[in-house]
Amino acid sequence: MENEFDVCVIGSGAGGGPVVWSLTQAGYSVVVLEKGPWFKQTDFSKDELACCRRSHYTPNLRDEQHVLEERDGDQGWKGVPTAVSQRDFWNGNMVGGSSNLMSGYFHRLKPQDFRLLSEFGPIEGANLVDWPIGYTDLEPYYTLVERVVGVSGKVRPHPQAEPRSTPDFPYPPTAEHPISAWIDQTCGKLGLHPLRVPRAILPRPDMGRGACSYSGYCGSYGCSTNAKGSSRAALIEPSLITGRCDLRPHAKVYRLRSDAKGRVVQADYFDTQGMSRSVSARIFVVACQAIESARLLLASPGTAHPDGLGNRHGQVGRNLVFSAGGSGSGYFTYAKLSPEKAAQVRVLGPFVNRALQDWYTIEDPVFAKGPAKGGTVDFLFSHPNPIPLANALRWEKDKLIWGKPLKRKLEKWFSEDRKLLFEVFNDWLPTDDCFVGLDPNINDKWGSPVARVRLGAHPHDLKVGRYLAGQGEKVLRAMGLDWVSSSVNASPPPNLVAGGCRFGNDPKDSVLDPDCRVWGADNLFVSDASFMPTGGSVPYTWTIYANAFRVADKIKRQLG
Amino acid sequence: MPVRKPTEESGFNRFIDTWRQETLSRRRFLLRMAGGSLALLMPLSQSAQDENGDPDRQWRVLGAVQNRLFPSEANAPGAEELNALDYLKWVVADRKLDAEDRRFILRGVDWLEDLTREVHAQSFSDLSIEQQDAILRRIARSDAGENWLATLLLYLFEALLSDPVYGGNPHEVGWHWLGHRPGFPRPTAHNRYKAG
Repeated sequence: MENEFDVCVIGSGAGGGPVVWSLTQAGYSVVVLEKGPWFKQTDFSKDELACCRRSHYTPNLRDEQHVLEERDGDQGWKGVPTAVSQRDFWNGNMVGGSSNLMSGYFHRLKPQDFRLLSEFGPIEGANLVDWPIGYTDLEPYYTLVERVVGVSGKVRPHPQAEPRSTPDFPYPPTAEHPISAWIDQTCGKLGLHPLRVPRAILPRPDMGRGACSYSGYCGSYGCSTNAKGSSRAALIEPSLITGRCDLRPHAKVYRLRSDAKGRVVQADYFDTQGMSRSVSARIFVVACQAIESARLLLASPGTAHPDGLGNRHGQVGRNLVFSAGGSGSGYFTYAKLSPEKAAQVRVLGPFVNRALQDWYTIEDPVFAKGPAKGGTVDFLFSHPNPIPLANALRWEKDKLIWGKPLKRKLEKWFSEDRKLLFEVFNDWLPTDDCFVGLDPNINDKWGSPVARVRLGAHPHDLKVGRYLAGQGEKVLRAMGLDWVSSSVNASPPPNLVAGGCRFGNDPKDSVLDPDCRVWGADNLFVSDASFMPTGGSVPYTWTIYANAFRVADKIKRQLG
Repeated sequence: MPVRKPTEESGFNRFIDTWRQETLSRRRFLLRMAGGSLALLMPLSQSAQDENGDPDRQWRVLGAVQNRLFPSEANAPGAEELNALDYLKWVVADRKLDAEDRRFILRGVDWLEDLTREVHAQSFSDLSIEQQDAILRRIARSDAGENWLATLLLYLFEALLSDPVYGGNPHEVGWHWLGHRPGFPRPTAHNRYKAG
């Protein structure tokens, strides 16, 4: 039978978009199967209820959920379905995936992130490995992302800066908040080197997309000008212009069928009406975000893959990682500032765009004897959504308050200060206690077992996180902020997830080969964050984009 | 220095309202303790069981409770100015929302009414303000009662601070009161969240 398409890409987010874009540009025909709907630019607005309080961009948990396992005493693990706990683990199911909702803090990995084991040595209980590729293999693709997706910024010399092949970013930095200069001054006094954080946000119109409108509402919200470099705005929608991209929203792939040789021949999916359909292609690419990609492989056994695609050695779903760390904060109290400074703090819209990576490798004898892997501290204002703040104010020493006392409290807390945050990003070490499987009891609305995810963390993650949070607190105190505090815990952020199908040189302890091709299924690739054996100490999106462009080049070579 | 401020962020700039999750999971915990039965969590006398479920009376009582939770003042909007009751009706009618949420809100009304009739022999909505406040303080002493009031406050805050396109916060009265600046573009009837 003739294949309908050259390539079938499952998932249209940051892992799928670069493959779709590269292959359609190169003249290949691509079908994109996306589970979610297609929200376009005009469908997005600054609507707190839609973005953050209802399941508007994510499935209803009654229809599709996860089962999350956490440690239950010393004994074992207890799984709780998220429809019961209301702990929503979805991130944005739509064309372009959760990249529509990202803040677009873009950091590259650094050379040492590719060889954590050989640089820093083993850590007991952590499945540390070096990557099968190095920073120089990925560097050209980081540079490609700067141009194609659009990354704005300004290079500043830095003792821990990663090398780059071009002198500077193709777009100048986005407009900066007045307090960014205050952070620079304070850090200068402390002998630190604040970075201007690159952003996947266009400061001026280009490539058919608008400039940032500085609404003040960015992360968690879809972009109304297409300035944000979502996979949808930057890659998928531009691919449609080639005429070689067949985009199918509301297409939930539930199984990949493979032949006796192990090659994938067909993707089976449910359409909007719940009808089962299928599509054939020469090459298949899975990019459903880490948890769902592992789930799809596990749910797709075949003659040559009796335990699920690529799961001959029981590796699929293992070594899932998140981003470890936490956050800290301090308050600018308006009454303590001069009227001019208070007015500066009140400015809404421009970005803070400052981060510290002075401790990306920690060389501090108090922390460890030799060099140790550290991470990133990123500064930002508290999210402007008002409803969660009001909700938190209902409680006074764990007792509910209401009526006039509650109203006076709201008036005070909404007007007297503004909260500056920092977020800590450090490695979530891969362990045997963090993985994806199929739940034996709970199915989604189409009858497929949902993902069951064990969420164990390595204690070392907390040690690093606390060290970095302590450094962040020092900066906020030196800036004169009030009520400085921080919180580091082992709770995984669902939007910063990677691993589960790590790549490597040996099929016995990896799922993908160095090209991100599934071992034993030579026309199947995984191009989302699943490939990462270790996550680095920055948000993942730039690395996902870069690697997916690299995988697209491997696919082109294979298609010939 | 003690931490005075609540941490409303979940970190990583992903904005989940953890307080909604905590309110709901607290409720589920209470329900589990009651063997999964709302009837055991909020028991009713026989006479109340006979006359419960009258929607008009339920909404009248809910409106009266909202007015105590968020009273109108000369310089600050209350539940009435926020259209909070109509907003709550929209929430309760939304089939996409958890059915248990809806049952809990409505069962709580009958439970409150039962207690009120036992103490005062009249409906909550007919009591004086002082009597109403005393009853609310009394139910807040139980976990179930406190969680019920916390749930009503949660939706009151949505009526206070969500976009007027959803029916609360008319003429942005809540935003004006608290000096909140919304983002643009604002949601329209076309692209807003649609109840099921």
